[in-house]
Amino acid sequence: MSAVSEAVTSSGARTREAIVRRFALTDTIFRTATRLSAILVLVLLGGVAISLITGSWQALSKFGFSFLTTESWNPVTENFGALAPIYGTIVTSAIAILIAVPIGIGIAVFLTELCPRPLRRPIGIAVELLAGIPSIIYGIWGLFVFAPFLQTTVQPFVIWLFHGIPGLNGLFAGPPYGIGMLTSSLILAIMVLPFITSITKDVFDTVPSVLKESAYGIGCTTWEVTRRVVIPYTRVGIMGGVMLGLGRALGETMAVTFVIGNAHRISASLFAPGTTISATIANEFTEADGELYTSSLVALGLILFIITFIILAIARYMLLRIDSKAGA
Amino acid sequence: MSTAMSLHQRRKRKNGVMMALCVIAAGIGLAWLALILGALVYKGLSGLSLAVFTEMTPPPGEAGGLLNAIYGSIVMTIIGIVVGTPIGVLAGTYMAEYGRFSKLTTVVRFINDILLSAPSIIVGLFVYELMVRPMGHFSAIAGAVALSILVIPVVVRTTEDMLNLVPNALREAGTAIGAPRWVVIRSVAYRAALSGIVTGILLAIARISGETAPLLFTALNNQFWSSNLNAPMASLPVTIFQFALSPYEEWQQLAWTGALIITLTVLGLSIFARSLTGRREDR
Amino acid sequence: MKPMLSTDLNVADTTVEKAKIEVKDLNFYYGQSKALKGINLSLPERSVTAFIGPSGCGKSTLLRVLNRIYELYPKQTAEGQVLLDGKNILDRSQDLNLLRTKIGMVFQKPTPFPMSIYENIAFGVRLYEKISKAEMDNRVEQALKRAALWTEVKDKLNASGLSLSGGQQQRLCIARTVAVKPEVILLDEPASALDPLSTAKIEELIDELQADYTIVIVTHNMQQAARVSRQTAFMYLGELIEFDRTEKIFTSPREKRTQDYITGRFG
Repeated sequence: MSAVSEAVTSSGARTREAIVRRFALTDTIFRTATRLSAILVLVLLGGVAISLITGSWQALSKFGFSFLTTESWNPVTENFGALAPIYGTIVTSAIAILIAVPIGIGIAVFLTELCPRPLRRPIGIAVELLAGIPSIIYGIWGLFVFAPFLQTTVQPFVIWLFHGIPGLNGLFAGPPYGIGMLTSSLILAIMVLPFITSITKDVFDTVPSVLKESAYGIGCTTWEVTRRVVIPYTRVGIMGGVMLGLGRALGETMAVTFVIGNAHRISASLFAPGTTISATIANEFTEADGELYTSSLVALGLILFIITFIILAIARYMLLRIDSKAGA
Repeated sequence: MSTAMSLHQRRKRKNGVMMALCVIAAGIGLAWLALILGALVYKGLSGLSLAVFTEMTPPPGEAGGLLNAIYGSIVMTIIGIVVGTPIGVLAGTYMAEYGRFSKLTTVVRFINDILLSAPSIIVGLFVYELMVRPMGHFSAIAGAVALSILVIPVVVRTTEDMLNLVPNALREAGTAIGAPRWVVIRSVAYRAALSGIVTGILLAIARISGETAPLLFTALNNQFWSSNLNAPMASLPVTIFQFALSPYEEWQQLAWTGALIITLTVLGLSIFARSLTGRREDR
Repeated sequence: MKPMLSTDLNVADTTVEKAKIEVKDLNFYYGQSKALKGINLSLPERSVTAFIGPSGCGKSTLLRVLNRIYELYPKQTAEGQVLLDGKNILDRSQDLNLLRTKIGMVFQKPTPFPMSIYENIAFGVRLYEKISKAEMDNRVEQALKRAALWTEVKDKLNASGLSLSGGQQQRLCIARTVAVKPEVILLDEPASALDPLSTAKIEELIDELQADYTIVIVTHNMQQAARVSRQTAFMYLGELIEFDRTEKIFTSPREKRTQDYITGRFG
């Protein structure tokens, strides 16, 4: 045994043992704390599910399955059905995604293939920053700037344009309120655009450059490389990003609440006011009197929770797949 | 020869059209977003004055400020961060350190990612059922808890990601001099991942400072000054919501100004957070 | 083919001091795959032992068993015995932190902690000893002197450990290991990431340290093994092929495979 260690073992062996025991204890405490925190994340989601189910039990047991198929929403007669908000949620989100996806992919292609190098980073960062702007900002802009603009210029023109064309004249029927389903869809599209763009750009960046270079090497144009190499390679990731954007659009509350008009009916015209699940909850929850009314609103929340859970689970699963592909 | 030429030209033309569409998409997207920010600055700036920060929210038709709303936002944000951050950091630590190879980590990561993008109004409903209903009244503390639930997934995610970037060699080195695991985590791993974790916390602050939906039926709103955590409390986003939808011009103006303040705060925090990690990448 | 047993060696080589570490019938598994097969050898006190062999032969794995650092990862298991001063460290009752204060380790890539030069060294000392500031200053200075780094860093002890050059960082790691007063120092290819000049310094250091410590070094560089070690173990495919005095291994190995490896016919 060496001289140095001899000194330690003779004088400090006992204190060392004590220190080691203390370390074992603190380590156990710390490990347990981290583990409990991790479990708390699961408990949170479980708690959300349970509280929504118990909160909505009264409404669900009274209305049963017809809650999903009834359009009427009448606080006075206490007859509640979720069809109009479900319809509004799905239609506004679907239109928003239809608008935002091509534009988002276009911007992503622009950023990865066309944009001059010095501008790439600033624009990329700007897009990501915009994804973080609170939704209430989009809402207030939609209400005060966008809706009046639509009301006075775009909507009258579109109504006039499609007047007399069967099908389209129903879809774009007057009067031009400004606010309504289409306005909400457009606002949602702007909101999810930065999201879809930045995820698409990220998955585009996972394409190995040799792959692109070999396609360029056989004489492909930029569009052909994008269409035949980049998009097929990243298909799953783009879908994941789109689903994530869809999840956000479905659950988006404030931006929609400002401009949807909060009308519990299903209209053929996209210019008509409507409502979504989250807008209904935001607008009516604090004013809801009566257990059944509140319970019906919580039931709406439960439906939204289930829809978004499924969409987000699919999205995460898809993004997980592209992650493991990029890592391999 | 001529057909080959025309094919080539067709391809070239198609490429030109598609690329032009991409540029137009980028132009539309960016212009649209610029338009929103422009309107916000234009409408918000005209109402910006010292009174906004020194006076209470006014009754309809009178001039006033946003002091109580700003105060409420700050208080609830701070409590939300103080409650949510330790839980998030600890959970992320479990996932990247003790539980790196465990099944629990995989499950928690998946669930956490879902919480991360779950609609915030759902969180509001949850806290309503959890706290407001049993307590019998709205309260600032319920609002803060709702915000902390939004903080947790953001912090969990960044903590795990940043700790995973710490090289294993560093952990082995710490372990090899006899440090117990938690000391290695505290003194080596956290230190190496510090700027990343701080970035996560800043992004979480940015996220919750603009959140409206989860506060609507937890903290509610309060026309007056209140520092009682057990009572309803005003917040900037909820005040903006209420004022913007009102028919009174003074209120609408205050809503725009409040929106500008929130946006500048959120953008400032995000840029600061990014500059922290940016420096890290350069090193 | 039966590998050389350490006991045979000890009989043949009576001048060797008493064994500091004895490895007996050691098997090691990564999940299902067996990475070490029936290793037997004994490392004499206060001398340098080198493990050589082609990559994947298990030399690093064997080293990582000696301080049980492999326990950081799941599905890695060791069976058999590793005796440190006659006590089996693979025993479940062995405290791992205590074991690692006795058996220090330096890694392939320099691993300074994200703190100051001073703190890099004080960190390990403080874990198990409560000493005054003056004593600590002294300990840090001694450790840095021991690692031949003192003159280069004495004016910037508060600078980040990351600000040093690669060679300096590696010596800082050696200083850090020495500072906690271990009995054994394990070196896992300590110079493979360094330039020739820094490598020479590290080798010089190893030569000096063997007066006080039992040193085990893993290296893929045969010249290095020949230069710094007193005995050398040649490993191949998880087996210990030959273990003998270094000059014997490099001049007249008993095994053909050792011969082939050191003459560069494979590996």
